[in-house]
Amino acid sequence: MDFRWDLIISSLPMLLTGAKLTVQLTAVSVFFGIILGTLTGMLRISKTPFRFIAAIYIDVIRGTPLLVQTFIIFYGLPSLIQRPIPAYFAAVLALSINSGAYVGEIVRAGIQSLDKGQWEAAASLGMSGYQTMKHIILPQAFRRILPPLGNEFIALLKDSSLVSVIALEELVRKGQVIIGRTFRPFEIWFAVAVIFFVMTFIVSRFVDLLERRVTRHA
Amino acid sequence: MPKNILEVTDLYKSFDQLEVLKGVSMKVKAGEVVVIIGPSGSGKSTLLRSINYLEEPTSGSIYFKGELINPKRNLHKVRQEVGMVFQNFNLFPHLKVIRNITLAPSLTRSMDMNVTEERALELLKQVGLSDKAQSYPEELSGGQRQRVAIARALAMDPQVLLFDEPTSALDPEMIGDVLEVMKNLALQGMTMIVVTHEMGFAREVGDRLLFIDEGIIVEEGSPAEVFSNPREKRTRDFLSKVL
Ligand SMILES: Nc1ncnc2c1ncn2[C@@H]1O[C@H](COP(=O)(O)OP(=O)(O)OP(=O)(O)O)[C@@H](O)[C@H]1O
Ligand SMILES: [Mg+2]
Repeated sequence: MDFRWDLIISSLPMLLTGAKLTVQLTAVSVFFGIILGTLTGMLRISKTPFRFIAAIYIDVIRGTPLLVQTFIIFYGLPSLIQRPIPAYFAAVLALSINSGAYVGEIVRAGIQSLDKGQWEAAASLGMSGYQTMKHIILPQAFRRILPPLGNEFIALLKDSSLVSVIALEELVRKGQVIIGRTFRPFEIWFAVAVIFFVMTFIVSRFVDLLERRVTRHA
Repeated sequence: MPKNILEVTDLYKSFDQLEVLKGVSMKVKAGEVVVIIGPSGSGKSTLLRSINYLEEPTSGSIYFKGELINPKRNLHKVRQEVGMVFQNFNLFPHLKVIRNITLAPSLTRSMDMNVTEERALELLKQVGLSDKAQSYPEELSGGQRQRVAIARALAMDPQVLLFDEPTSALDPEMIGDVLEVMKNLALQGMTMIVVTHEMGFAREVGDRLLFIDEGIIVEEGSPAEVFSNPREKRTRDFLSKVL
């Protein structure tokens, strides 16, 4: 039984380039996902007709595979709009829209977990709905949703590997390419797994740290 | 200035099938302390919360300084002038005591932040918590929290203060401090409507007592009068249980 460490070492630069793209994709998508999700979560509990749209968005995205969503955006959308969509753009779009739905649910739950008395106290002081949201509700909700948001970040980091199917050279795709050349699937997938683990481990420690800093007085 | 700072006429409130307020009317003069008593579930909180529209009345009207309260037109303004103190304090846990007090005034008025803070410190002194400005609510006892909540309401310079059982969630030894603060407010001429089970406070501080049962005002009069000589049987039954 021989395990080719040297192969892993020599593939490392290429794998790390892929990992860099994975991190970048995830970070950008989480960023847009949080914006989209905060909006969605707030609309979801609003009394406007938009709450139905938010509910449908959340249900549809959570009820269909990310893989299919990616196909729809990368292969389906271009035929509809009669122009190709770059793979990177399609990936960010798919991951952001996907993440937005999950974050939307997290934000909704976070807001609803707050005591009704917080709204009432703010209202009784003459604060507007917007002021209450901004100064009272969201800051407290944010502290509570940090842990599930961290989990969502980690989930997205892993799920981003799905966009390898549209030939985007993130970590998994890089692994496939290297195996195509070296015919050593075990070493390469092993290395890919370790890199994923290191990344999620760092993120989860970071989230723990952040959590400890901001969840006081929540 | 109209004679009555607050006037409630023919107020009805239902939650789905449950009719909680069944035609309540009351008038409150400026500077008056009105104490509301009644059995649990009689609608005391609902009445109080309807006044600043935390509960929207099913029907009836509420006038503040002679002006009809309309949720679409003047509610924010009315709420800035009608403060409320809750049984569970409802302080903002993520903000320091001082910020709890300055937040609403700083958002709703164009005033120098230094002035707002100075005023907040003054109020803290008034409620006996000068040293707690930089604390977080969780670092305070229940009685201290409630006094911060009173200071927070006062920071808006309200013309009327509503109290919904402000001492019911407190340990017995904390109740006195809060009642003392309320008594001083009354002495300074603050208009107050107080729902409470503290009969001593009602007797000593109240100008007028309302007894509510099953969604209507059963009896009203000066506290001394009602306590010593209740006219209605329901009032007598209730008082015999709580006195
Ligand atoms: N938001 C609500 N939805 C449904 N029912 C409610 C709501 N708020 C109050 N009620 C009901 O209305 C009735 C009166 O409640 P309210 O809180 O006004 O009584 P209360 O006189 O303040 O009693 P307590 O002394 O226990 O505080 C009760 O039967 C209560 O269950
Ligand atoms: Mg009550």
